This record gives sequence, C-alpha cells and structure tokens, in this order.
Amino acid sequence: MPANETVEELNLDDYQYDFVTKDEPVYKAEKGLSEDVVRQISYHKEEPEWMLDYRLNALEIFNSKPMPDWGADLSDLNLDEIYFYLRPADRMERSWDDVDDEIKETFERLGIPEAERETLAGVGAQYESEMVYHSLKEQWEEQGVVFESIEDGLQMYPDLFKEHFSTVIPPNDNKFAALNSAVWSGGSFVYIPKGVDVDIPLQAYFRVNAEQMGQFERTLIIAEEGSKAHYIEGCTAPVYSTESFHSGVIEIVVKENAHFQYTTIQNWANNMFNLVTQRAKVHSNAKMEWLDGNLGSKATMKYPSCFLVGEGAHGSVLSVAYAGDGQHQDTGGKVIHAAPNTTSQITSKSISKGTGRSSYRGLCQVYEGAENSKSNVECDALLLSETSRTDTYPYIDIDENQATIGHEATVSKVGEEQLFYLMSRGLDEEEAMAMIVRGFIEPIAKKLPLEYAIELNRLIELEMEGSVG
Amino acid sequence: MADGTTTAELDAPGDLVSVADRLDGWLEELDEPETLVEGRREAWERYRELPMPQTASEEWRYTDVEDLRPEDFGFVEPEAARSVEIEDLPATVQEVLAGEQDRSGVAVQVDAGEVYRRLDPELEEQGVVFAPIVEVARERPELLEDRLFSSEVTDAEEKFWTLHRAIFSGGYLLYVPENVRVPEPVHAFRYLEREDAIVGSHTLVVAERGAEVTCVEEFLSPDLEETSLSVGGVEVFAGENATVRYISLQRYGRGVEHYSVQHATTGKDSHLSGFNVALGSDRHRADVTSHVEGPGSESEMLALWFGDGDQHIDHHTLQYHKAPHAYSDLLYKGALTDRGRSVFRGVIRVAQEAQLTDAYQTNRNLLLSEDSHANALPNLEIEADDVRCSHGATVGQVDESQLFYLKSRGLTPLQAERLLVFGFFEEVLGRVPVEGVRSRVRSAIERKLGF
Amino acid sequence: MSEFTTVATVDDLSEGELMGVEVDGREIVLANRGGTVYALEDCCSHEEFPLSDGEITGDQLTCALHGARFDLETGEAKALPAVMPVDTFECRVEGDEIQVKVGD
Repeated sequence: MPANETVEELNLDDYQYDFVTKDEPVYKAEKGLSEDVVRQISYHKEEPEWMLDYRLNALEIFNSKPMPDWGADLSDLNLDEIYFYLRPADRMERSWDDVDDEIKETFERLGIPEAERETLAGVGAQYESEMVYHSLKEQWEEQGVVFESIEDGLQMYPDLFKEHFSTVIPPNDNKFAALNSAVWSGGSFVYIPKGVDVDIPLQAYFRVNAEQMGQFERTLIIAEEGSKAHYIEGCTAPVYSTESFHSGVIEIVVKENAHFQYTTIQNWANNMFNLVTQRAKVHSNAKMEWLDGNLGSKATMKYPSCFLVGEGAHGSVLSVAYAGDGQHQDTGGKVIHAAPNTTSQITSKSISKGTGRSSYRGLCQVYEGAENSKSNVECDALLLSETSRTDTYPYIDIDENQATIGHEATVSKVGEEQLFYLMSRGLDEEEAMAMIVRGFIEPIAKKLPLEYAIELNRLIELEMEGSVG
Repeated sequence: MADGTTTAELDAPGDLVSVADRLDGWLEELDEPETLVEGRREAWERYRELPMPQTASEEWRYTDVEDLRPEDFGFVEPEAARSVEIEDLPATVQEVLAGEQDRSGVAVQVDAGEVYRRLDPELEEQGVVFAPIVEVARERPELLEDRLFSSEVTDAEEKFWTLHRAIFSGGYLLYVPENVRVPEPVHAFRYLEREDAIVGSHTLVVAERGAEVTCVEEFLSPDLEETSLSVGGVEVFAGENATVRYISLQRYGRGVEHYSVQHATTGKDSHLSGFNVALGSDRHRADVTSHVEGPGSESEMLALWFGDGDQHIDHHTLQYHKAPHAYSDLLYKGALTDRGRSVFRGVIRVAQEAQLTDAYQTNRNLLLSEDSHANALPNLEIEADDVRCSHGATVGQVDESQLFYLKSRGLTPLQAERLLVFGFFEEVLGRVPVEGVRSRVRSAIERKLGF
Repeated sequence: MSEFTTVATVDDLSEGELMGVEVDGREIVLANRGGTVYALEDCCSHEEFPLSDGEITGDQLTCALHGARFDLETGEAKALPAVMPVDTFECRVEGDEIQVKVGD
C-alpha cells in the first residue's frame, strides 16, 4: 500500500492500516505473563515501591479470577503467546523531529502531526508499550493543563496521581482490569484545572506494530470543578496471522460542574482482542459523555460507565458498533445512579453484516435514595445479512420508587420500502443502502468533531460496498 | 393478604416423611404404568445429580434458592381419586365455583388427590378428554406419547423440572380432538392445605388441528405457618390452526413457595395465548417458554403481578422463534408495594430460519413504595435478518400529571393512586377473555390496595 | 439501651488483620490497624460480600470481590464500585477484651 494514500482511498475490507514498520525495540520482555515480566516493567519505568506492590497484588488477583463465561468468545486468546511489554524507544519526545524515524513514519502515514497542527490542543502517541510522543500547546500549558504520559504523570505529580489512581477502577473489578493493573504501560495522565475550558480536543493515538503484542494503556483523567475538555483516542494495528491483544483501563474523575467528553474511534485490525474497562466518577452537577465507536477488532468487550455519585450529575453513553465478517462487538454502557436528581441516557446503534455479531450489554442501576433519577436507554440494531446476528442484554436494577427508567430496543432489516423510495429518486441500491445506514448512525456522528464525523461516515460507506445482493 | 382463609379438613393430615426418605421405596411399590414409574425414577436420579441453581448463574441471579432443600419437605403421596360433595370442598373453592356457572369442565384437587371432576357430557361424546394423567397412561397411553414431559427444558429449569417429574401428582390431560370447540373454560383448582409439604401438579393441554379450548388453572391455599412448596409443570400443544388459551392464576396464601416451568408449542397457523397471574405466595418463580414452531402462528404472552409484604415474584420468559412468518407478543406488567420485589428476565430468540418474524416484548413495573425493588432484563438474540423485533422495559411510579388531574377532580390521593394502579393493570386484563378470571383478579388487587 | 459487648480478645486479632464477629444478629468486621481496632458492617455496600474476606489498605478496608474501599473510621466509600457507605460501630479495648457497641 502506498505511503501517500489519501483518506478517500481507504477501505476497511482492504484494511488501510495494514502496514508494518520495521524497527528494533530497545527492550522486549519474554513472551507470556509472569512475576518477572511485571518486575521488569516496573524496573524499566523506575517506579516507586508502592506501584510495584500494586502491580504484583494485581497479578495475583488476575490469576485468581476466572475468565468471563459470557460475552465474546476468547478461546483464541492465548496469553502465553503474547508479548506483554515491548519498549520501542529509550525516551519520550516532545517534538516530532526527535521521534525515531521509523516510528515517526508510522504516525505520519496515519496523519497525526498534521492533525495536531490544525485541530488539536495536544497529542499523545503510543507505539507498542510506551508513549513515544506527547505534547501540549503552550496556551493550555500556561493555564495549568497537564497532558502527559501516564508514567510522567506518576513521576511529576506523585500525590495527585496516588490520590486518584485506582479509585475509579480497582484491580479486583474484573479479570482484565486486574491484568492491566499488573502490566499497564503507556496511556495519558490528564489534569484540567478548575474552570479551564479546553475548547479543542486532546488526542491520544495508539498503534500496535509488532506481532503477538499486548498493549495495556492506562489513562487517568481528573477534571476539576467547572472545567471542560474533550479527549479522543484512536487505535490501529497491522493485520497479522496471529492474534494481538489490547486491554486498557481508563479512569476519569469529573468534579462538581465539570463537563468531560471521552471519544474512542477504535479501528483495530480484525485479529485484535480488545477488552477495555472505562469508567467515570461523576460529581454534583457534572456531566460525563462517552462516545464510543467500535469498528475494528476481532472481538471487543467494552461498556463505558458513569457512576453518578453527586446530586444532579448527568451521564451519557453514545455507542456505535459495526460488526463485519468474523467480528463480535460486545459493547454497551452502564449508568449507576447513586444520588438524587441524576439523569442518564444511553444510545446504542449497531450494524451487523456478513457473519458479524453485535451485542448490546448494559446496566441501569438506581440506588435507594437516588430520588427523581431519570434514565433512558435506546438500542437500535440493523442487520444487513442473513448470517449476521444481534443481541440485546440490558440489566435494569431499581431500588428507588421515585425514579423513571425506560429501555427500548429495536432490531430491523433495512426496509424494502425505504430502499425502494430512495431508488425511485435516482440512487442506486448501494448508495441508497449507504444513505440509510448514514441516517441510522447520524445521532452519533453529529456529536463528533467534523473531521471525525466525516471519517466515520466514510468508513461506514466503504463497509457498505458490496453489501447489496 | 391470603385469598383462602378457611381450611377444609377433609382428612386429618398425618405426619409426612421427607421426599428423600420416601421416594426410593415408594417408586418400588407404586401402582402406576411402568412408563410413568420409569420416568419418575430417571427424573429423581437426575435431580439428585444436579446442584441447586446458583445465584452466580444469570437465570437465578436474583432468586436465591441455594439453601432450599426441596427433598427435605414432606412428600404427599398421590392419592386415588375420591369423590366428595360440592359442600365438602374448601370454602374458597366453593366460593369460586358458585360465582361462575359457565364452565365446560371443572376439577378440584386437594393437596395431591383429586376430589371432584366434571366434564360436559356432550364434549365427552365428541372425544374431549379431561382426566388424570395416571388414568390416561393406563387407558389411552397413545394420547401422552411424545407429549408428556417432552419439553426441552434449559439447564436453568432442569432442577425444578426433574423434581416436578419425579413427584408430580394429580396431573391432568386436557385433550381436544380435531375441529372440536370447547365453548367454555375448563377449570382446574389446586388447593393446598398441608404444611411443610411439597406438591407438584402437572397440566398437559393438547389441541388437535382446528380445535379450540381455554384452560384455567387456579392455585389456592390458606395462609400456612410452615412453608410448603408447589412445584408445577405445564405443557401446551396447539395443533395446526388450533386456538389454545392457558391461564394460571396463582392465589396461594402466605407460607407457600410456587415454582413453575411452562412450555407451549405452536403448530402451523395456530393461536396460542398464555396468561400468568401472580398474586399470592411468599415466592413465585415461573419459567415460561413459547416455542414458536409453526409457520404463520401467533403466540401471545401476558402476565400480571402485584407484590406486597415481603413477596418475591420472578418471571423468566423465552419467545423462541424457530419458524418463519410467525408473530409473538409479550406484555408483562407488575406493581410492587411494601417490601415487594420482582424480577423479569425475558428473551426473544430468533433462529436463522425464522425469517419474517415479528416479535415484541414489553415489561412495565410500577413501584408504589420506598422499599420495593424491581429488576428488569429484557434480552434479544436475533440470528435472522428479515425481522421486526423490539422490546421495552420501564420502571417508574404512577404518573404525576395523571395523579394531579385526578386529584383536581376531587379524588383523594389514595383514591387517585388506586385508580391509576387499576388502569395500569387493565391493559393486560382487558386482553383476557374469561370474565370470572378478570373479576377475581380485580378483587384481589382491590384487597391488596386496601379497599 | 445498647451496651458494649465483648466480641474477641486482643490476641485474636493481630495488627493488620481482619475478623468477622456477630453482635445481636449483626455481622461486624473488626480491623486492627496499627493497634487501633475499628468495627464496621461486615457487608460490602456494592454487592453483598463479607468485608472480613478483604484486607486493610492504609486507612481503608478493601473488599476482596471487586476492590471497593471504605474508610476505616467513617465507613465512607472511597473507591468504586461502591458508592454507599457501610455502617460503623463504636469499638474499644478494655484490658485484653475487644468490645463493640451496636446501636438500637
């Protein structure tokens, strides 16, 4: 595939991110998971003692928890064949010019430095196990915004880090949160000071280049009172014959009156297992929005959640999933109402094509005392082939009678009538289909910054090619 | 409040021996056709191999039976049928019987023995059978073949299903031959008065091609001091173009735990309607499956519950579409007050060959008190692409604006709330074609609302 | 009127350890942190699970099931997935006896 490929030429059925950069890592841990690997990771990061203890404890928890017996089929995920730590460069750079040439080439092909200049407040780039680049525009730095690699966050802000780290997602939460807690590497540390409004997005870019690689990014975000920011992550990897593995943990604390949006556009190659835990703790009158786009991977299990712990807090999850041949997107959202007058909305749109399967899995929980809570869940699934499959598994658990909870889901095929109408207006069948699908995901696309919305539409449209018949 | 408050002592109950201690020996000496005895033996062995359902499993997550030991409950041996006069029946049963004249058939069972049965002689002449399963197994075993205990139960249902198969007593076959229409409901009463006992009634309804029948099964008991278990099973077969309505009206007193596994199967172009009402007992758990196997068939699934005190009401449903062009519609509505708790878990499953399926599922919950608690888990599993499926679940309180409106028309807050609860249930009740059932459900709700 | 009840002796509970006891039908977890004994409700407010199976982490008690943490002193939830506090009880050491007072 040529390096100068433009966005117009991208086609997921012919996965555009399928190129491999030849590089030599500076350190590669042995295959598989062991206490030694965990110690190596901690050693290379020159961590404080408490973090090593935390990792070792998490490893024990990971070993003691069974694999989930629900959700995606993980039987092809062989952890003994995975490299858990691969250090690509000796240090992180703050200028693109200093980034190792091979790695730089990768990100240039993905259009990252360009995007930074034009539309982003800050950029982080992770290659294999480490962040290789992190920068923040001066105007935000001056206002006290922190946007660092998670490792630098730990070294530079030890107290703030320790105060919040693992309070949103403890290692015992689930098997893969425990795994991440043991072997985490890379990810961002973000701090938005009181009242600061970062009005253009911060972005982190995650790239897995090596074969049989496991990437375990860990992100901790603290949005202080009255602040506002938007963080975007994007993910790609080349296609190998063996499975790779990505298991992130993202913890967000949204304080009083703050507003935080976290967007994921996940476009991993379709041999990637993607098992991610994302959770926000939302305080009084604060607002948390998850926007979760899952287009790639072999199997994804991911349910962004909002714990609404302060009065008047609001949480929303907007999820769009595309499951093509052989893919299983097991996604959804969770909202936990633990304070009065809290509100939440989950909107999920999934499209299944070929042998793809998309599952919505969600939880809406209302604790006693969370009076006047309101939650609304809407799931729509679109099936494009006879062999595709969709499931909806919402859990509703209500312990408060002064609450209003609704869940609605529909499953449908693209309507013949709708198609016929559009075709009678001069569109061919493929165009008509793409238009219907575009209309279907529109509520998600319009929440994205324009250039991402365009890319999402484009991806979906290309996926539709050849889907007619 | 219990529906049955009097105890008609037909016999002074003697001491019971537990199921575990009694069953092996009893099976040896049982005077039943060998196929039934063998079936009981197999089921009992399987039951003993299986662990109690665990709350770690999806299906039993909110209903904890881990410490329940059904085999330690007193075994009430099925008795030979006895004939008693109407005036010797329990008062609650008499009351219901007196209130309704139009029945094509009636049977009354007390604990594990039948005491009364009647079927319209005209229907009998037309070949309708309404008789104990044991009797049918002796005289016309072909009517049971491939039907009795043929349901494919899930792993989650198997423990109670095998128990039911091993101990079932006084079960009925209701058989309607081709093109025969049973004009009025056939009504079976299950009256439980033994304490510390376990009983299990089986109902098998078979409607051949073009037949039509309505079967009502009503569960009654006084309030019991010591817990008794009712472990029931229901199998319904609607033949081609047949119409079958099955209604289960659970009005046990307190001190009873009711577990029920129900499987219904639709034939081509048949119409099936199931209605489950849970008003009584301490704990009610029903697993209700509709196997939509006939192309062009329709399955309606309705339920209504009202939990008060510490009642725990759990419904698990499956709308399993295996044939094209079929339709199913589920509407389950429940209200809770005091410390009442309810669980609804419903699955619509559409197999790949079931194209052009229309399947709907709605669960609505009304919480009337601070300490009530509802769980709703509506699930969709869709493998066909040309389908229309939707589900919805809500949990909430009575609508403020409606309450306000009614109060502005001069109603007290309590009156207004009662009216709205009635309105809530009317959507389900209005779809039940048996007047007697509707009125009994209404008065039970009135009592619960404290009229 | 509630009074202090002896539930254990100091020898039963060494430093850094937890133990479950029952007072008036209430399950209580005792935690010895640096010689100070705390008494909390022995049931995680997230999903009912005995906190006595967990461990002391600094000034907090961590539940073994999902990692929820509670302040030893106040019972306040300090880490998700718990959001609700657990009850705390007055606790004292008299001689070598650990005593707990359960309110009415």
